[in-house]
Amino acid sequence: MGGYKASVINELDKMYKKKKMIVILIISVVVILIGKLISFGMSTVGVGVFKESTVFPISVLSVLSNTLLPLFTALVAIDLFAGEFSHNTMKITLTRPVSRFKLFTAKITAIAFFVLINLLSVMVLSTIVSSICNFSSITLVGITRIVISYIVTLLPIMVLALVVVFLSNIFKSGTAVFFLSVLLYLVCFVMGRIFAPYSSLFITSMLDWHIHWVSDAKLLWKITREFLIMLGYGIIFFTAGFYLFDKRDL
Amino acid sequence: MEKVIEIHGLTKTYKNGRGIKNLNLEIYKGDIFGFLGPNGSGKTTAMKIMTGLMKADSGEVKLFGYNIVDQYEKAMERVGCIIETAESYPYLTAYENLKLFSRYYKNVDDNRINEVLELTGIIKYRNEKAKNFSLGMKQRLGLSAAILSKPDLVILDEPLNSLDIEGMIEIRKLIKRLAETEQTTFFISSHLIHDVELTCTRIGILYEGKLLNVDNMQNILANYATLENYFISEVEKNGRI
Repeated sequence: MGGYKASVINELDKMYKKKKMIVILIISVVVILIGKLISFGMSTVGVGVFKESTVFPISVLSVLSNTLLPLFTALVAIDLFAGEFSHNTMKITLTRPVSRFKLFTAKITAIAFFVLINLLSVMVLSTIVSSICNFSSITLVGITRIVISYIVTLLPIMVLALVVVFLSNIFKSGTAVFFLSVLLYLVCFVMGRIFAPYSSLFITSMLDWHIHWVSDAKLLWKITREFLIMLGYGIIFFTAGFYLFDKRDL
Repeated sequence: MEKVIEIHGLTKTYKNGRGIKNLNLEIYKGDIFGFLGPNGSGKTTAMKIMTGLMKADSGEVKLFGYNIVDQYEKAMERVGCIIETAESYPYLTAYENLKLFSRYYKNVDDNRINEVLELTGIIKYRNEKAKNFSLGMKQRLGLSAAILSKPDLVILDEPLNSLDIEGMIEIRKLIKRLAETEQTTFFISSHLIHDVELTCTRIGILYEGKLLNVDNMQNILANYATLENYFISEVEKNGRI
């Protein structure tokens, strides 16, 4: 357990010291401000975009979870695996008294922590911006919906991260993994639209699953089914990623 | 005498046919073992397997009695190493690099970090980022990381690479001092045969993946004028040079 804890702290420390991570968080936050400014501009010319203050943070999440968040998560995952393999720094940690399983799990935990921090910062800022613009419509139910939708988005994003981690353990070049991940994402996205009845098989179609959680209709069955599919994908890619990580000769 | 490293029937063959074949070796506490061999003889491969960076085709390695594959954490608990090249995180300072490694050990605090930076002669660069370091400074930082936890076994692959003459002498003294005062065992590979002669107490010669012979330095120098002569003689016996 000591090795795992030390590895998680080290991975987070490295992320923090690399300015890249801070830049990613800043970009996420800037996107919200731009989004709000655009919606503000549209409402001043008579086009009502967000009627309630709670709609804006969820709309931001819908955009973010399909675009920037998967992209940033892929970059972080590539940096922690393929990046360290290609820069030859992976062996620094691997020659310390920590098992490969603990190190692998610690890196995944660090990615989850990054995604969570990113989601929470966007949630807090978008809610603040939204409340400033339309304070009267804030309700406890609305806030709860926002928190639930942001928290549950962690799951599909982490499944995507595990796919990227799996690819990072196959290829040595971070650039190759990045382009392959983007290509795979686009293919899954298009396939999900073309074969709509089977869209639940494509992980990209689950990036919007937070909508089921805050929907008025009772979608417990759909939530359970999608959760189990994501859990299945998660277990498969975690296991396959770790298998390759463990077998890899440095 | 306590066995620190036990290697039995270690074999690893690459696609090009090179590698190591049926390596058997025992290293005892307090030894400064010099692992000699030409380029491509399998020194780094053996060291990578010994530190768990690579899996062997067959055979086993035990460090302090613990199998490196099945009991990795226990085996590496008292080991420090530099394998192939001394790497560090370029975006971190020397102190921050060592701070990361220190988290894996209970007995390492900031005082110990400063102590090893002092020992390896880079204390004045403590707060400078590793990306600005010269090759020699990176090597010194790698050595600092290797001895940080006061390990009982230090495995060093070409530790004197990139060091200037002053640096070589300092590191050689440091290795000898640690072996004498703290009974630290060293397993060192090097091309610098003169340095190996001045530093090591036992020598093993690896040639084309096979361990030709293991002998004490005293015996070697009693029978040969220099270690180089012994090396050439051993290799000649096996049909080359």
